[in-house]
Amino acid sequence: MIGFDKAGKRFGTLDAVKEFSMTIHDEEILGLLGPNGAGKTTLMLMMGTVYRPTSGKISVNGLDVVQHPNDVRKMIGIAFQDPRVDGILGAFDVLNWHLKMTTNLDKVEREDRVEKVLRAVDLWDARNKRTWLMSGGMRKKVEDCKVLAQRPKIAVFDEPTAFLDVPSRLLMWKMIRELRDEGSTVIVATNMMDEAERLSDRVAIVNLGRLVAIDTPEQLKSKTKGGEVLELTLGDGQECPADLLTQFSEVQDVSQENNKVTVYLSGGRLLLPKIVETLTNRGVKIDSVHLKEVTLEDVFLNYTGHRLE
Amino acid sequence: MSSSTIQVTDSSDLSGQPTSRLVLQMAWRDIATLFRTPWIIISRALAFIIQLFVFAYLISGLVVKFPGFFPYYAVGSVVSVVASISFIIGYDIFEEAEEGLLDYLLTLPIPRREFIIGRALGGAVRAMIYTIPMFAIVAVLENFSNPISLLAAVLDLFLLAFGVTGLSITVAVSVRSANRFDVVLALLELAVSRASTALYPLAFMPSYVAALAPFSPVTFAADSTRAALSGSSLDILGLAGLLAFVAIFLGLGATFYFRRLEGGVYA
Repeated sequence: MIGFDKAGKRFGTLDAVKEFSMTIHDEEILGLLGPNGAGKTTLMLMMGTVYRPTSGKISVNGLDVVQHPNDVRKMIGIAFQDPRVDGILGAFDVLNWHLKMTTNLDKVEREDRVEKVLRAVDLWDARNKRTWLMSGGMRKKVEDCKVLAQRPKIAVFDEPTAFLDVPSRLLMWKMIRELRDEGSTVIVATNMMDEAERLSDRVAIVNLGRLVAIDTPEQLKSKTKGGEVLELTLGDGQECPADLLTQFSEVQDVSQENNKVTVYLSGGRLLLPKIVETLTNRGVKIDSVHLKEVTLEDVFLNYTGHRLE
Repeated sequence: MSSSTIQVTDSSDLSGQPTSRLVLQMAWRDIATLFRTPWIIISRALAFIIQLFVFAYLISGLVVKFPGFFPYYAVGSVVSVVASISFIIGYDIFEEAEEGLLDYLLTLPIPRREFIIGRALGGAVRAMIYTIPMFAIVAVLENFSNPISLLAAVLDLFLLAFGVTGLSITVAVSVRSANRFDVVLALLELAVSRASTALYPLAFMPSYVAALAPFSPVTFAADSTRAALSGSSLDILGLAGLLAFVAIFLGLGATFYFRRLEGGVYA
């Protein structure tokens, strides 16, 4: 179990993470969902003992990360957002050296494990190609493979499928799930909604260095007001009179960002014509309407007040 | 990748991993990069040969006041190259920090102090491997064959490499701006190599250089190496100077590096 207890990290005058409290359960995949700069990477690097928290506590399987950094490091493997690999080495050598440093496997076991993981991600034929000559997607696979080959107790992936094509993304998700099924606790930082929703057992929404919400994707969606979302695109410069819409009992909340209006409601199909009529009568020009069920993106918008770009 | 073939690593497996093995792995990482680019060793060895057989022969013919300048210069060149190559670890570390590779290295289960020792050791051994072909050329050329003398000379060179590695690490972790770092390290390299007795004797130096040269670690190494190879008595002063240089800068480098990792940028 991993515990963050009012953990904070300050760089100069900037609070990258502030009063962050959260528990990560054993053998779950936790998605850390947030925009770039939300503090996801800082959280992971504090847990991985690279950054020292400036306030609060972080414990990994009962060990404080400041008091027992090396014991904590023995349990963790981190795949970074931007591949951190020696450009002069090939994929095989990168992974082989990583396993030498992080496991007690003998040469045969180590090389066998490297071969299996490289074959699985279709990099075996390019195993000796220097990583600085590889494409972004190939380098990203090598980065992810470090943790997939290490099989640590706690596996951390920062944007694991960035730069990957669709088949490779699906494969990577499958391999991450297998890692969880074998007993690893997995933390995946992402700013991709579908990745967080499809891969995670629970999702923690992080914004401006703070934990905004944490639950299963289904629970997060069900907790969101109304259960349905009506998206209206207004003409340029048009303002939506929110009070007109909240007079309907089915409307839970209304927010506007530029010319996009989001209405959280229930019974949307019946209410939609009334809403359009009400706004049109008020002289509001509506370019388009879209009624849908709540997604994680709506959950994020609902909690933070802005969309995840 | 099926669950039946690979199991999650039990962290207790790692507790038995000796730290010394990790130190050596860390050092090996720096050494291995050298073997990935053997053409650099070959080209530098060729450049050294040309320098020796063209420049050194020519100059030794011109220097009439100092008979036997060629062997003096040949040994000093090797010492100078050791110092120069040992500085490279600083550039590596600075680059790693800029590229984020250091973040990755810091997630590995090796205690910070051992991490630093591994880096310094790797840098020093790399410099030695790089210089051994040049040292061999000089040894053959000058007929240095006494194994004890050769061993003593290698020890001198290694001490210099270790100390300069520490100096280079100290600068790499103390200077934050890339441009300033390049200038500081280049000037430092120039100062310790050129203001030394590696390539010319003290007696022929301008007074302002002669005032500094006796304190250069390259002078300690050059004088001590020459004494060892000539079979004369042990250069105690040179050896003591080298040991002090190693102790000071390895200690400083380790302290600065450790502070940066645990108390500064990476705190």
